[in-house]
Amino acid sequence: MLEAIDLNKSFGGKPALKDVGFKLERGEIYGLLGHNGAGKSTTLGIILGMVAPDQGEVLIDGISVQEQRSKALRKVGAIFEAPAFYDYMTGWQNLKILMSYSGGFDEKAACEVIGRVGLEQRIGSKVRTYSHGMRQRLALAQSLLPEPELLLLDEPTDGLDPEGIKWFRDFILELRERKGMTVLFNSHLLSEVELMCDRVAILREGQRVFEGSVRNLSDEIPTYQVDLEAWSAAEPVIARFGGSLLQAGRIALPASVDTAQVVEDLVKAGVRVREFAKVRRSLEDVYMEILDGRGSPN
Amino acid sequence: MCIWKYSTAEVAPTDMIFLQQLRCELRKLFARPRTWMGYGAFVAMEALILTVYKLETSQRHMRGIVERNGLEFSTYYSSLTITFTIMLLSMFLLGSIYFALVAGDIVAKENEDGNLRMVFARPISRFRLLLVKYTAVSLYTFSFVFFVGISGYAMAVTAVGWEGGLFVMEPKMKVFAAYPDWSEGAARLALSAAGIGISMITLSSIAFMFSCFKIKPAAATIITLTILFVDMILQSFPFFRPYESYFITWRMSAWVFLMEQYISWPKIIESFVFLVGLNFSLFTIGWLAFQTRDFKT
Repeated sequence: MLEAIDLNKSFGGKPALKDVGFKLERGEIYGLLGHNGAGKSTTLGIILGMVAPDQGEVLIDGISVQEQRSKALRKVGAIFEAPAFYDYMTGWQNLKILMSYSGGFDEKAACEVIGRVGLEQRIGSKVRTYSHGMRQRLALAQSLLPEPELLLLDEPTDGLDPEGIKWFRDFILELRERKGMTVLFNSHLLSEVELMCDRVAILREGQRVFEGSVRNLSDEIPTYQVDLEAWSAAEPVIARFGGSLLQAGRIALPASVDTAQVVEDLVKAGVRVREFAKVRRSLEDVYMEILDGRGSPN
Repeated sequence: MCIWKYSTAEVAPTDMIFLQQLRCELRKLFARPRTWMGYGAFVAMEALILTVYKLETSQRHMRGIVERNGLEFSTYYSSLTITFTIMLLSMFLLGSIYFALVAGDIVAKENEDGNLRMVFARPISRFRLLLVKYTAVSLYTFSFVFFVGISGYAMAVTAVGWEGGLFVMEPKMKVFAAYPDWSEGAARLALSAAGIGISMITLSSIAFMFSCFKIKPAAATIITLTILFVDMILQSFPFFRPYESYFITWRMSAWVFLMEQYISWPKIIESFVFLVGLNFSLFTIGWLAFQTRDFKT
């Protein structure tokens, strides 16, 4: 559905993206993570044709955004962090204006989407009177008009209350389930990405340093919670198995390692082992490890 | 949870979509309080000019000019003459400021406010977007001139009555004319309003071009006004007099020739062709600048 091929971009000679590439299958929810300035927004800008890449291209349904932008974006909807509407106009007028840029206003479709996002009561009010949550709902409504197949979400849940975040998540998951929508989700909220995305890519200083399935994160580099005495004696043993110390009380070992053997060797080396339990790493653990440079680029 | 079902709107013909986009752009333009401020300011200025016209000193001054030219003051102290004066005085003073303000805002303000990001998530080309905006701003400019004419005339009628002829004197462009008959005067006034409208589109085009650059909306307005005033000042230097037809403001003033007793169409067409060509060039430069820009948060 969406393919970013070797995207490179510099701003004023400073590289913002270096050979970034990824591919989204139809119906997939893909998370794009990274610190501020990692290149997430630039990537999104290139996908939407707002930013011209120095090299590389983006294909949406096989159509190049860089060569045929209007055609490529026909089935794309997007939401930005702090969406900027025409505040002096009503929500309805805003939808009308934005839809006119997509080839015409479909009143019936607009009414249905407004109902779905729960804005029926306030759609006739000026946007300047909307709360942040209502703006996000309006942003979601406009992104769904007319019926997109690919949704680009740039920090869509920023500033929402927990209830709003859950509502948003359920809405997107339902869209994927019922309509098979493909979603590119760019967020700082790692827990949200973990709950919503099938796969994630992590960007660091304009480079993709990780890409993998969210569900298999814990299996890719198994992590163990350990309580040991004599760490100085334990470290060479762990290193011999190809493992590494992650943080106090946590070690990572390659998936192929027999943990019983590790424990046996530790004991033989005179290390008292009080606890040795496999833990499921969260996306946050993986993210922090990668950004700290402990994870391996892929 | 229920899931909605709807069919995608049928794709309308391109020209219909353009008209729909233009309608939306105009609605957006007229929904902004700043746009209406212009109308309010002009009505206030018209009222002021009218008040000055009603003063005895002003009437004495006008009587002197009219009668020195062998004409009857009572025929030409009329709503048409006052309307002409209102348009002549207000357009280049207040008009230039408002047109530069509105046209300078049309792209740059949307970029500054972040609205363009929402628009760029849509399948519309930058050229088309600019074309819609440029058409909207041109229509606004053109129609605004008629608003000034009509509202000025309405106010003048309430003050001095509808009857009377039209007296025209514009020393800078060396135009002098008198139309004792109301209908002929009114027709000339309407024609001149169209001429002013076309001329003022050039001013809007300059501001529009700068609005397409990576600058603040206020900067687009200020640069436009600076160009206009520098052009006007240089044009008044004796050294430049032989070259006055190369100045933008001189070409923009060529609409006054529409008020001459015998209209010299070649002279007028030459100026308007110059302005249309200039507008086209300004739009193209703006579009090229806009096309090569990156829009990023």
